[in-house]
Amino acid sequence: MLSLELSRISVSYPGLLSPVLDIPSLSITAGSRIAVTGASGSGKSTLVNVLTGLERCATGGSIRWGDADIAGMSERGRDRWRGAHIGLIMQDFHLFPGLSAVDNILLPARLSRAMKPGDPDRALMLLYAVGLCRADQKIETMSRGEMQRVAIARALLRKPGVLIADEPTASLDSESGDAVSRLLIDLSVSNESTLIVVSHDPRLTGQLDRRITLSAGRVASDRAHREKAA
Amino acid sequence: MTRFIFADLRRLWAGSLVVVLLIAFATALGVAVTLQERALRLGSARAADRFDLVVGAPGSETQLLLSSVFLQPSPLPLMPGNVLGKLAADPRVAWAAPVGFGDSFSGYPIVGTSTALTTNLSALKEGRVFSKAGEAVIGAAVTLPLGYEVKPTHGLAALGGETHTELAYRITGRMAATGTSWDRAILVPIQSVWSLHGMGGHADEHDHAAEAGEAHNAEEPGHEDHAGGHGHGHVDPDAPLDENWTAEAPGLPAILVKPKTIADAYKLRQDYRGNGTLAVFPGEVLTNLYATLGDAKRVLSAVAVGAQILVAAAVLMVTVMHIGQRRRQIGALRAFGAPQSAVLAIVWLELFILIALGILFGFAIGYGAAILLSAMFSGESGIVLPVGFIRDDLKSVAAIVLFSAMLALAPALLAYRQSPAAALRA
Repeated sequence: MLSLELSRISVSYPGLLSPVLDIPSLSITAGSRIAVTGASGSGKSTLVNVLTGLERCATGGSIRWGDADIAGMSERGRDRWRGAHIGLIMQDFHLFPGLSAVDNILLPARLSRAMKPGDPDRALMLLYAVGLCRADQKIETMSRGEMQRVAIARALLRKPGVLIADEPTASLDSESGDAVSRLLIDLSVSNESTLIVVSHDPRLTGQLDRRITLSAGRVASDRAHREKAA
Repeated sequence: MTRFIFADLRRLWAGSLVVVLLIAFATALGVAVTLQERALRLGSARAADRFDLVVGAPGSETQLLLSSVFLQPSPLPLMPGNVLGKLAADPRVAWAAPVGFGDSFSGYPIVGTSTALTTNLSALKEGRVFSKAGEAVIGAAVTLPLGYEVKPTHGLAALGGETHTELAYRITGRMAATGTSWDRAILVPIQSVWSLHGMGGHADEHDHAAEAGEAHNAEEPGHEDHAGGHGHGHVDPDAPLDENWTAEAPGLPAILVKPKTIADAYKLRQDYRGNGTLAVFPGEVLTNLYATLGDAKRVLSAVAVGAQILVAAAVLMVTVMHIGQRRRQIGALRAFGAPQSAVLAIVWLELFILIALGILFGFAIGYGAAILLSAMFSGESGIVLPVGFIRDDLKSVAAIVLFSAMLALAPALLAYRQSPAAALRA
């Protein structure tokens, strides 16, 4: 479980007058469940990239997850830190065809040479937890809902302190979307991960503790949700 | 990682196969050219190895070598017959054997010679050496049984030569394989060749002295004056052999000489250059031929290298485009925590595996092609062309592999450098 302290975050691209993301300060307590919303182009994806260290912010900013400031890390250091502490779930799943469900779950750990002896068992356990039982099924033969569940299991393999999901339900039908929402929240609780979800889906964001709305790269509103997670 | 790479290659098997085949054929081209040139050089050198010195009439050294050592049918000028007697009596000579061409039997050249050659060229595998005018010894690659009657055809049968009816040779022996053109030859006493062409017969040889030269000079098959020209002497197949070469022997196209020592060889060559004869070391003439062969090889190699460069460029282009298509996938790998080095290794390995497979198949195909070509050539000429790799080939393999490893690095670095965030946005 990791807390987040952002300060003086600014990301701009050459040729654009105003920064695509400009957040003077933002803090998230460990173990909370946050929804990030906003119109498209409001900077949500850039925020995810900054939070995960995929994108650098302008110098002077700091992105402090727990005790680590990833803004100061090298590219390799951020790769390693991200692999160990962040579970990432994306709209397009980014699973790798030709590999089985369980191999997909284990792939990031394998590629980072961070496999632990218990990991294959944990992968099977997570697969079961997301409601799938055919570990050897090739990923390309699965439905989209099943794929996103495999992606959730993959994100949780290395017991990350933070789960970040970028539009996890946007490409799913409502039934699969509900199942994925429920799994995200339940598993973030049972795995003691901070959960940050970028989503337009009110049925998902409505179940989270706090909603941050971005507009033109700035925090437009930030309020706690009255309804608690189910 | 390996599982990921193989899943990837399996998924893209069609494209991978094309890349492998392209590289294989480009490699095979270069390998075949190199191997075949080497085989030709080695094979001809070995085939000429058994012949230390060839003496003929002045003319083309290359033609003398091709006709006497490689038994290429072509008209050679004649030298005086007394040269044979002189050489045979020379104390520096271990043995000297005359060579007379002109007839053939079902594609096999019939070569008139003496028992000196048949006993010295190679041991007999079966039967015995000819001892009468109507007997013959065959090379290892001649597919005729002992006892078979060979009716010589003037010139080459394929070119419409006329069959000599006056004499049939009975095969009495077969030589062991020598790996030379002589494996395809039918060896007969040279007296019989002389007699058949109206040149022998010690009694009337003076009448024929002038005509003999003419006849042999016009040895092309089917020449016009043949029918009405020189009278075909009657040949008694049971006539005993007379190998006491006298000064009156008819003109000869070539004499194969085995000197006793190397020093003798050089002295003999010195003595028999000029004065109506030409002595050559086959090895020396071959060296000159190789110089020409080397030029041809350089041209072929340039063609092969050109093909390889084209293929390398094509493969590079395909992979760079492929990397472009996979930007998102590579970005995702990074996003899930795969280090840059893993991405680099994956892209590099995928390409390098394909290239290495291509090179491997290429060497196999090139080797196979060279073996096939050599077999075809051997079937026609009798010369065994040894196809083989040498130690230095390892160096060129290493160079090729190293080069392709560097080549594969280009798209890998491209993947290495690309920003995962930008890749995912695309």
